[in-house]
Amino acid sequence: MKLFKTLRLATKDYLHEWQVSICFVLALAAVLGPMLVLFGLKFGIIGGMIDELIEDPTNREIRPVSSARFDDNWINQMRARKDVEFILPRTRSIAATVQLSSDKADRFVNVEMIPTASGDPLLQKTSAPETINQIVLSPTAARKLNIELGDQIQGSVTRRYLGEAERVELSLTVVGIADADAFTRDGAFVNLELMEAIENYRDGIAVTQFKWSGSEAPSERTYPSFRLFSRSIYDVAGLQKALNAVGVEVRTKSSDIELVMKMDRNLTMVYWAIAIIGLFGFSLSLGASLWANVDRKRKELSVLRLVGFRTGDIVWFPMTQAIYTAVLGWGLAIGLYQAVAITINTMMADQTEGQSVCVLLPEHFAAAGVVTVLAAIISAALSGARAARIAPSDGLREI
Amino acid sequence: METQPHSDATQREGGTIYHLRNVVLDRKSEGVSFRLNVPSLQIRQGEQIAVIGESGCGKSTLLDILAFIAKPSDIDSFRFRPNLADSPTDIGALWDKKQLNALGDMRKQHIGYVMQTGGLLPYLTVRDNINLSRNVLKMKKDDTVDTLARELGIARHLDKLPGTLSTGERQRVAIARGLAHQPSIVIADEPTASVDPFAAEKIMALFMELAEDRNITVIVASHAWRHIKRLGLRRLAHHTSRSEDGRTTETVVNG
Repeated sequence: MKLFKTLRLATKDYLHEWQVSICFVLALAAVLGPMLVLFGLKFGIIGGMIDELIEDPTNREIRPVSSARFDDNWINQMRARKDVEFILPRTRSIAATVQLSSDKADRFVNVEMIPTASGDPLLQKTSAPETINQIVLSPTAARKLNIELGDQIQGSVTRRYLGEAERVELSLTVVGIADADAFTRDGAFVNLELMEAIENYRDGIAVTQFKWSGSEAPSERTYPSFRLFSRSIYDVAGLQKALNAVGVEVRTKSSDIELVMKMDRNLTMVYWAIAIIGLFGFSLSLGASLWANVDRKRKELSVLRLVGFRTGDIVWFPMTQAIYTAVLGWGLAIGLYQAVAITINTMMADQTEGQSVCVLLPEHFAAAGVVTVLAAIISAALSGARAARIAPSDGLREI
Repeated sequence: METQPHSDATQREGGTIYHLRNVVLDRKSEGVSFRLNVPSLQIRQGEQIAVIGESGCGKSTLLDILAFIAKPSDIDSFRFRPNLADSPTDIGALWDKKQLNALGDMRKQHIGYVMQTGGLLPYLTVRDNINLSRNVLKMKKDDTVDTLARELGIARHLDKLPGTLSTGERQRVAIARGLAHQPSIVIADEPTASVDPFAAEKIMALFMELAEDRNITVIVASHAWRHIKRLGLRRLAHHTSRSEDGRTTETVVNG
C-alpha cells in the first residue's frame, strides 16, 4: 500500500517536472535509437547475406575433386549422417551423356546426365524423375529441343561392342524443367538406375530391363564420384573435414560461407563494443542525473520521511522515475529506429531488390527494453540507496 | 498499564506527554563541540511551549529530539505518552534498540511538523499536501481538510499547486498539514520566519487558536519572543554558555 503511494507520488513528481523528465527520455533515446539502427543494419545486411547463402543450395554442395571408388555401403553410411541432406552416387562422367531428340525440333542435343532422386536440393521447384523413363531437363536443353512439360523425347546411346558400333534408343517423358541456377549447361536429371543402365551398356554389360545385350554384370558396383549436399551451410566445413580425413578431396564453397560468418562475428563484436560503451554511458548519465536529483529533492524526500515513509519506501522514488525514463526512452528510440529503418530501406530498395537492409525482430526490441530497464534499475538503485539514507531532519531547515 | 499505581508518580505524570530527565546530545564538527543538556523537562497535554533563542543555541536540536529525529547521546529517562489512556513509551529504549521504524511510526501517528519554509511537495495540490499525513495513516476522508482550509483562509487554493501561492499562504498550508491528521503534538520550527512580521503574527495567532480548539500540544521554536509573548505561550527556560576559547557551547534546558 505504501509502495503504491510512493509510486503515485513519484509519478506526480515525474509529471510535474515534465521538462526535466523529457530531457531524461530524450537523452536515453539519443543513445538507444542509433544503437538500434546500428544493430538493425548489422542484422539486416548479414542476415540478407546468410539468407542468400542458405537459399542457394549450390552453397551446400560438396564435390569430390578426383574420382575414387565408392560403394553402396559407403554411400549409405554417408546418407545416415545427420549433417548430410542428400547424397547420390555418380557414374563415370564419360559414360554419363545421352543424345536427345524431339519431334518438335530438328536437331540432336548431347546432354550431361546428373543422377537425381526425390529430395534433390537442386530440384526443389520441380518434381524429380520417379521412374527410369522420366527426365528433367536443364532450361538450355529444353529450349534447344523446344520441349514442354509432359512431352515425349527420344534418347540414343552409342557404344563400341565387339568391334561394332551399336546404338540403342530410349523413350523418355519430360516431367520437369529445372531452374536455371540448378544446371547452366545442357543437362538432364535422371534416375540413377538409368545412368547405371547406360554405363553398363557402354561397358558392354547386358541390361535386361531394356533387353540390351552384353556380358554379365560384376558382383559389386562401385562409383567414381557422388553428389552430396549438407543439411545447412554451417555443416559444410565439418563435412569437408570429415571427408578429407578419409582421403576424399572435395571442393566446397566453405570459404564463402566462412567469409560471411567471419563478417558476422566481427560486426557482432564491433556492435557489442559500441553497445556496451553506449549502455555504460547511458547508465552513467542516468545514474548521475538521478543522483543529482536526489540532492535536488533532498528536502522533499525528507518531508516524506517525516510524515512516515520508511527507508524502503523512499528507495522506490528514484526507482519508479528511472523505470519511466527507461520505458519512455525505449519507446521513443523504437520510434526513431522505425523512421530511420523505413527511410534506409526505401532508399536502398532499388539496389537490394526489395530486400530490407535494416531489420529488427520483435525479440530484439524486447531485449533492448529489458536491458534498458535493468540498466535504469541498477543506476536508480544507487541513488535510491542514497535517497533512503536521507534523515527526516536533513532537508528541514534549508532556506 | 501499571498494575500498582504510584500515587506520587501518577500525580506528577498525569497529563504529561513528554518526560525527559538528563537527556544529553553532543555534537562535534570542525573542532567545535556543542552540547544540549536537558536535566529535566515535562510537557503537559494541551500546553503551548515556546523555545526562544538565536540560531545555533540548540533549539532545533531540542525539537529534533522531541520529534525522535535526532538521537540523544545519553538518556536517563525519556518517556512519551501521547494518549493518557496508554502507558508511556520508553523512547530511550527504542533508540537503544535502534528501532527507527517504531520511532517513525510513533512520529507519524502522534506528531505534526510545520517546517520553516513550508516543506510542501511542489507536485501535489494544496489538498493533497494537507492530506499527506492522513493519507499515509490511511485515515478516512472527511471534512477535516476543508474545515482546516476554511479556518486558515486557504479554501480557494485547495486545488492549486503550492508554487502558485504566496509565502504566507504556503505557510498556512504547512500548518494545515501539521494539524490535519489530528496529532497529539505539533512541532513548529520557526513557522513564520519567512513571512513578514505582520502576517507572521496573524498566522501564529491562527495556528495557536486552531491547536487550542483541538487540544493539541504545541512546541514552537522562534527567535522572536516579542510577538509570541502576547499569545500566552510558556517560554522554555534555557541558558547557553560558551567556553573562553569559544570551542565549546553548552545549552541547558529546563522546564
